[in-house]
Amino acid sequence: MESSDGWPTPDEAAVALAEAEASRTKLARGVVLPSFFDAAIGAAITVQIATTALGLADIGGWARWLLPAGVVVFVLVAVIELARFRRLNGAWLGGFASRVVGGTATAAAASYVLSLGAAVWAAFAQAWWLVGSARPPAAWPARGAVAAGSGPTGRRRRHTAGGNRRRGWPCW
Amino acid sequence: MTTLTAVSEAEFATLRDTLQVSDSVLSKHVAALVAVGYANSRKGIRAGRRTTWISLTAAGRTALSTHVAALRELIAGVE
Repeated sequence: MESSDGWPTPDEAAVALAEAEASRTKLARGVVLPSFFDAAIGAAITVQIATTALGLADIGGWARWLLPAGVVVFVLVAVIELARFRRLNGAWLGGFASRVVGGTATAAAASYVLSLGAAVWAAFAQAWWLVGSARPPAAWPARGAVAAGSGPTGRRRRHTAGGNRRRGWPCW
Repeated sequence: MTTLTAVSEAEFATLRDTLQVSDSVLSKHVAALVAVGYANSRKGIRAGRRTTWISLTAAGRTALSTHVAALRELIAGVE
């Protein structure tokens, strides 16, 4: 395909670039979230926030053991969900764990801090019904992070290869 | 190599399916890239099976950027 001096012609170069970009986009668009990923991470964060708030409100009593228990639950769920993501996609996105699960993205971190603050306040005020309802929105940070990290267009769609259906949720 | 820039690391089968090449073709290309230090290859497990995970090195990304820039200059020289 290359010209006699070893360099491709401009047409060959354009075709090569287009094909390379098409493959890259195909891989990026095939990245999906496992089913119920958002719900699982959201529930784990809710449990962690609620147990932290209850533990802090009763730090001298038995409830203080809820603090580490909530963290353990969150870590377990996070590990399972990240393993599901890796198994489903056969790929890994740099920064996915920290941004989506660890909440290091600005919006996720801010919403977590606000939710935790509200839950702690509710626990000290003994408004128990509020403690469980103070949770950050888990859905859009996960999808946004995968969309941002999986390619220039960042769109996801269900991917079917070789007749085997991959279960996944779109990231948009 | 461009395909690998979409992710941090990809499994051999995922890369093969995306590029629509045979195992032997991909294996040869990966071996060549690893030999010159442009890619890393490591053994892992996925769904209980042993598999190979491939990623680009920093040198590989630099080399790819340089190559793409050269191709674009070639195209731009005609326009």
